[in-house]
Amino acid sequence: MHVHDLNPKKTLWAVIIFVVLIIVGFITMKRPTMTYEQSVKQSVQMLSDTSAYYFYPYQLVEVLNHQNKDVVLIDIRNKYEFGQGHIPGAKSIPSFDLAKKENLNMLENYKQKKIRVVLYANNQLEATGAWFFFRQVGFENISVLLGGYDFYAAHQKDLEATYYDQNVYLKGVPRYDFAKVAKSAVTEAGTTQTTTKPVVFKRRKKATVAAGGC
Amino acid sequence: MNRNYIILTFLMLALAVGTLFLHLQKDTKQIQPEALLWDVLQPTRYVTTDQVAKRLIEKDPSLMLIDVRPAAEYTQFTLPGALNVPLDSLYTSAALANFGIPGAKVVLFANDAIAADEAWVILRRLNFKNNYVMKGGLNGWVETIIRPVAPAETAPETAFEQYNFRKAASMYFTGAKMDVNKDQKAKVVFKKRKKTVVASGGC
Repeated sequence: MHVHDLNPKKTLWAVIIFVVLIIVGFITMKRPTMTYEQSVKQSVQMLSDTSAYYFYPYQLVEVLNHQNKDVVLIDIRNKYEFGQGHIPGAKSIPSFDLAKKENLNMLENYKQKKIRVVLYANNQLEATGAWFFFRQVGFENISVLLGGYDFYAAHQKDLEATYYDQNVYLKGVPRYDFAKVAKSAVTEAGTTQTTTKPVVFKRRKKATVAAGGC
Repeated sequence: MNRNYIILTFLMLALAVGTLFLHLQKDTKQIQPEALLWDVLQPTRYVTTDQVAKRLIEKDPSLMLIDVRPAAEYTQFTLPGALNVPLDSLYTSAALANFGIPGAKVVLFANDAIAADEAWVILRRLNFKNNYVMKGGLNGWVETIIRPVAPAETAPETAFEQYNFRKAASMYFTGAKMDVNKDQKAKVVFKKRKKTVVASGGC
């Protein structure tokens, strides 16, 4: 004789509660807000095609003149730095707030409308990590501003002219002939090499002592 | 057997099988996007050229240098003891075997920090830890270590200490001869040995 045999309804209730709990669990389960849209292989391959993600400083001219309305600038530096100075028309979203739901929705919205989003920070390196991450989670409309805000601030009067001095802000290129520099560095720095002659000691011959005796 | 138990058993089994398909990820080795973004935004992965130079001079066995430039540039010049893992062939089993070695600290570098940083993001996504990026890359290496710039007269003491270190490091890495300052040349002092008094004759 089993206890449930006395009251079969009890078993039924237990089953219903059990199922309801599981359903509630599934519904309230926290889903990841972002998923990788690019595989690792695709991400690595993408890096070799720099034209797809570089935004050159001279391209800013059209954006600042309101000729190109399909570009949105996002300043990912903190609010203080943004307040100190920023590119006109740029939105301020500090990098740690990028993953907030409203910002993700905004990025998704731009993606749907095929609007190009350009991330920038003080220099290219500071924006590279965030840019590369958002590429991997599927925002293929995201680019990175070469040179960053520092370059813009220094050349904001003649942005168009920077078309010709790409070597200044283009990263990844060697600025020196490393093999040559590595051999000749110190002499170029102006240090003189003095040769010191070793001091030669000469032992004085011991005078042989007059071997005593008279 | 009670019919209720049979139903319950099947229900449990069905749910258990269901959970199998719940989180079927293609590659469980990868970390979650949120975690990756958090790590990407931290600046802790950057090391300076000075730190790398110091470790190289000290011959730190845990230091592992990885050059992510193309092989052609690597054969021309690289840092002492660096291995070559070109960025475009990073995601191959042969290249990934260099990472995740317990106790090793991997420093990635390229002509500057951009390519090394991108390699770092990929490695972090694949859940490799203890990787670092040399800030400034080889361009920075030349500007700071190989050709150090003397600090201004008003610079703090630490700047001079750093400059002295860099000058010495430059000599170490380029094989240049030490510059000897004349004023500091030690004077060799001769001390005459006292003549032992010869037993003055006599018998």
